[in-house]
Amino acid sequence: MKVVEINDVHKIYHDTEVEVRAINGVTLSFDRGDFAVIVGPSGSGKTTLLNLIGGLDQPSGGEIIVAGHRLSELRPSELIDFRMEHVGFVFQSYNLIPVLTAEENVGFIMNLQHWPKEKLKARTDGLLDAVGLADRHKSRPSQLSGGQQQRVAVARALAPQPEFILADEPTANLDSKSADTLLDIMEKLNRDEEMTFIFSTHDPRVMKRARRVITLEDGRVTSDVRTDQKE
Amino acid sequence: MLISLAWKNVWRNRTRSLTVIAAVTVGVFAGVFAMAAINSSIVQRIDSAVNEELSHIQINNRQFRSSSDIRNFISEPDSVISVLQRTSGVADFTGRIIVRGIASTSTGSAGVEISGIDAEKERTMFTLSQRLIPGTGSYFGSDTKLNSAFIGEKLARELYIIRYILTPEVLESLAGKDVPASVIEKLRPLEGVRFTTEKKFSDACSGLLSAKENRKYGLKLREAAWSYREGSRIILSFLDINGDQTGAAFRICGIYRTNNDYFEAMSLFVPDNQLRTLTGMQEGQYHRFIVKLENSNLTDKVTPVIRESLPELEVLNWKEIQVDLAMIADYVNQIYGIFMALILAALAFGIVNTMLMSVLERTRELGMLSAIGMNHRRIFMMIMLESIFLSIVGGFAGMAVSGVVIGITGHTGINLVKYSEGLEAMGYSAHLYPTIGADFFLMLTVLIVLTGILSSIYPARKALQLNPVEALRGE
Repeated sequence: MKVVEINDVHKIYHDTEVEVRAINGVTLSFDRGDFAVIVGPSGSGKTTLLNLIGGLDQPSGGEIIVAGHRLSELRPSELIDFRMEHVGFVFQSYNLIPVLTAEENVGFIMNLQHWPKEKLKARTDGLLDAVGLADRHKSRPSQLSGGQQQRVAVARALAPQPEFILADEPTANLDSKSADTLLDIMEKLNRDEEMTFIFSTHDPRVMKRARRVITLEDGRVTSDVRTDQKE
Repeated sequence: MLISLAWKNVWRNRTRSLTVIAAVTVGVFAGVFAMAAINSSIVQRIDSAVNEELSHIQINNRQFRSSSDIRNFISEPDSVISVLQRTSGVADFTGRIIVRGIASTSTGSAGVEISGIDAEKERTMFTLSQRLIPGTGSYFGSDTKLNSAFIGEKLARELYIIRYILTPEVLESLAGKDVPASVIEKLRPLEGVRFTTEKKFSDACSGLLSAKENRKYGLKLREAAWSYREGSRIILSFLDINGDQTGAAFRICGIYRTNNDYFEAMSLFVPDNQLRTLTGMQEGQYHRFIVKLENSNLTDKVTPVIRESLPELEVLNWKEIQVDLAMIADYVNQIYGIFMALILAALAFGIVNTMLMSVLERTRELGMLSAIGMNHRRIFMMIMLESIFLSIVGGFAGMAVSGVVIGITGHTGINLVKYSEGLEAMGYSAHLYPTIGADFFLMLTVLIVLTGILSSIYPARKALQLNPVEALRGE
């Protein structure tokens, strides 16, 4: 089942009279349960593509359909609601809300969605357990290590049960051990909950674990390899 | 959740938030306390006007106020009494005979308005009898065959009835009032000397004391040396009902002190039967009825009712007699509102600045919030709530401090005796007892919340203008 469909998408930036083609005719699709990475050199368009898929940015041409929604047809306010309902974001710099505890950060989007209190609590507890932070519910981000913060960020992204998770360089600021732990958790969630993960990364550790590797160069897909099929 | 998040955001930068809150606290306190002091002055002035000088409503012959002719009395007092008895809201009333005349002693004279009153009735209706200066008499209490008069301190000074004498007993008593022995010794040359005015006494003291001693002890010396011989006499001269000159000696049965120099200098009270005998006015004839209402709020309601019932007479309430005071009383709330709005507007700039810094520091976070689905309305609400919290915490702290300070000074009073001459000339007390109504605090709370809302608009708009992609890219 297709979660994301990208058809001949272009993204052009007009920066100081120079036209920059960040994405140049990309056509891709992602299925439920994908554990895919987008790789490529700096400036190849990885983050731009992620932003387009997540509805943070609008393409200059082409079409992106996510969970049946044509993103180009959505107004800005509808895009915000779309993101809340369908997309989970994990950022390189964790981007937790510093004044909230781990459980409050995880429950934040569910709160925006007005989840019933008990259901919200159960989901938050379950996710914090799943990411190995059962004993850090009341910790603020400043009291957690980088790896722990990123795990909270993953739990937050998963909490409202989105269609897929977009993770932009999620291991870039983590040491090897923390990165491995995080990837273990993501793999498990992907396996157990059939959650779709789409990464952009330079990190070979992430690439090694991915079951699909898409390579971008100059805004074009130069290869799309399913490693599970390879095996 | 938004409320909780906004509250936590306020305390992210504790020092900065506390600085703004302190500024709001001080601003609100300054505004509220100034208002309470001004308000107390107005409330005290109105209270004096109603309970000592004018009463709520006065009923006169239409020509009386302009001519003050003794023959312009109320021709049908029974109809007035009948109307007042059946008018609801009227607590009590009494009649007065009023003549213009001259009060004189061997050393001075002054023009006065002599009111012939039912002393016992007026004691229950008004508070002027409570303004009796201790040691000057008993407000028509002593049983004497002589005519008696209750006069103001200012008039007593003008007639040189009050003198300043440093008797040996007075000098001894100064030691108990924290006046140093060295100062008392310096004053010995003035022992037993009579001064007819306060100025002459003060000048004499200044010649003997240093400027610092004079500043520090001058008031205590004047109060201690203040002297009045009980039972002093004055002569009152006026025209009788036939237009003939008449008059009599009156023994002073008490001297009153109010906050209104003009009233003290002009208003002299004698028993109505004595004045009736001297003027030849008939029993039951009055120049004025003064009416006390059940409460001041009924003034505007009851006045037209009485006016309609007595069309041939002049019916005026205190607001119509003292137009300036009425205007201040009526507009005081608007003045409070404008004054506080100006203070809060100034404070709003501080809040805007703080909120703007807070928003610009959180660019990446606000971008993230937008990315994960926090819509514009919620972001706007969050910033607005933060701004309201800053205003409310400071505002409530300011109100609490004001409440405490007003409570204390409302009990102890604020002494503005340095300006007493000017204030009392206008009828205002030199001792303020700050007071302010609960409705003012209610209005202030609304203004503070409005300040918070208005202060949040610009920073919140800035936050909404952030593009999540750019905001996430960098701080």
